[in-house]
Amino acid sequence: MISNSSDTEPSFIKPQGATMRSEVRVIKLVLAGWFLAIVGFQLFAYLLEANYSALLLTDLTFFNLPIQFWLTGQLLPLWFVILCVIFNLWMDRHTIQSSEGSLRFRIKAKTGEDE
Amino acid sequence: MTTGTIQLIPIVIVAVMFAVLILSGLRNRIRNASEYSFGGNYAGRMGIGAGIASNWMSAASFLGLAGIFYLKGYFAMAYVIGWTGGYVLLLVLMATQIRRFGKFTTPDFVGFRYESDAARTIAALISIVITLIYCVAQFRGIALVVSWLFGIEYIPAVVVGTSLLVSFIVVSGALGVTRNQKLQYFVLIITFILPLMLLTHKLGYFWVLPQFGYGEAITELQQQFGLNWSEPFANTSLFKWFALCFTLMFGTAGLPHVLSRFYMVPGIRDARWGVVWGLFFIALIYWSAPAYGVLARLFEARNGLLHNAGGGDAADMIALSAATLGGLPIWTIGLLAAGAISAAFSTTAGLLMTGAASFSFDIYPRLINRNASELDKTYAAKAFFLILALAVMVLTFKPWGMIAEITAFAFAIAGNTIFPAFLLGIWWPRTNSTGVICGMLTGLFISFAPLFLSTALPSAAWLFPLTSSAFIGAPLVITVMVVSSLLTAPPSEAIRLFVSRDVHECRNS
Repeated sequence: MISNSSDTEPSFIKPQGATMRSEVRVIKLVLAGWFLAIVGFQLFAYLLEANYSALLLTDLTFFNLPIQFWLTGQLLPLWFVILCVIFNLWMDRHTIQSSEGSLRFRIKAKTGEDE
Repeated sequence: MTTGTIQLIPIVIVAVMFAVLILSGLRNRIRNASEYSFGGNYAGRMGIGAGIASNWMSAASFLGLAGIFYLKGYFAMAYVIGWTGGYVLLLVLMATQIRRFGKFTTPDFVGFRYESDAARTIAALISIVITLIYCVAQFRGIALVVSWLFGIEYIPAVVVGTSLLVSFIVVSGALGVTRNQKLQYFVLIITFILPLMLLTHKLGYFWVLPQFGYGEAITELQQQFGLNWSEPFANTSLFKWFALCFTLMFGTAGLPHVLSRFYMVPGIRDARWGVVWGLFFIALIYWSAPAYGVLARLFEARNGLLHNAGGGDAADMIALSAATLGGLPIWTIGLLAAGAISAAFSTTAGLLMTGAASFSFDIYPRLINRNASELDKTYAAKAFFLILALAVMVLTFKPWGMIAEITAFAFAIAGNTIFPAFLLGIWWPRTNSTGVICGMLTGLFISFAPLFLSTALPSAAWLFPLTSSAFIGAPLVITVMVVSSLLTAPPSEAIRLFVSRDVHECRNS
């Protein structure tokens, strides 16, 4: 039973149980990758502009696109897709492992091996 | 971009495209009626993704993004990242869990999770406000295209566009047309990318992937016309960029019509993989949209035209202008117009019907007629649908910004209200009805504060810009929700057990 104290309840900050803990761990990793890429690319462009003006940003191109256009407009959306694929693959694997674990437990209990 | 002449070929293309979509919808209904839910065809994960993408693609994606890019250059990248990055939040924090609640609308979710009719009613009202504002952006897009197609002024075009839209929804409803979302997405991507490939081919650029090919236009603009795109933050600040970007991301994860996609999918794994496909399909459009803005600037420079001589209306039509200035045949411009109208119509139809449903099920029987029968609710939904369409039409007569900016305001409201309500509702069982009511009201105040506080409190307007208020607003609302929940009684044990055991599978709680 859940007590009235919020300390014992599962939350994003304090996940409980193996399933939730591992799920929250991978969510935090994905969100870290998401946040760092967004902030990092903009800080990179900002610092280049602040320190070297347009000269370096003009010369740095990828497929003729200025580097900040390519990083933000092309790579970041692709990175989001990759992050989502990684998350889904992990979740799929985790779901299969969980269901296999519970199946093993049920088989053992039925045959009485763990008694 | 009003030319004063009727664009006959584009009108025929638009008419044919709508006929194809309606006939395809009818065929779907007759052939596989039992296999479809009311959300459309769920044939596989790619189908779900196409559904998510076609549901998402609106006038803001089709017209607005190119327009804002044409005017503001690199700053518009905040829209690209905001409208794609939000799907990461949606996937990892909400998509799976929402499905486990087994509810069908945002007010349903809020009412069930927070066990409060008041919270449910506020959520319904917020959904309607978001619908109203989001639809203004769509109506503006429809009106601009109709104005160009029929050679009429903007205000009559708003009226004609509204009449066409309402007729389309009524006829589709009467015929029982099911949206063929895969076909619709296919139509949208072809009508958007094909003219761009032709433009880049005509310019001698790398046309196979015009998403990269337009880089040569940036170089040409810089070397020959002195237009420097390489200083991303020369005319803006990092704060403004991040504020807009994160507001759009929080809004994406809080928009009722986006969240509704996940209540109805058949399985949790399908829901998750559907998001990935949906994001990829959306990214295909967003990788391309900036190209229209850049190419329009290039054609202007080559022809010695003044930048943005036509104001906001012309900027919102820049995708069509780029095709015209680039000398593409009229049928390709017709394709673009058809894609834009199709995107705006489908989004608006879904939004208006969602708004009408919110009114008839959450507001009418609770606040207006407590003894309403099912028939009364149906009539209420139909009447409110028309009232909503008329209200949007009137607001569209004098819109307060460009398509992308109006849409961003709707995202800011969703990011300040619905997003925190769902986030804490899913991830913190201790959040209670007092918390969510205080939070949603605070979110509404923050969203609308820039409208009436900008002169009295300039610093508040700077911190909470109209289009970007959720960057600081959403964390503030979450704090309000946490504090007010902790200061009041916890929610019932039943709902806390449900969140712990059924949503997060914590069997040891």
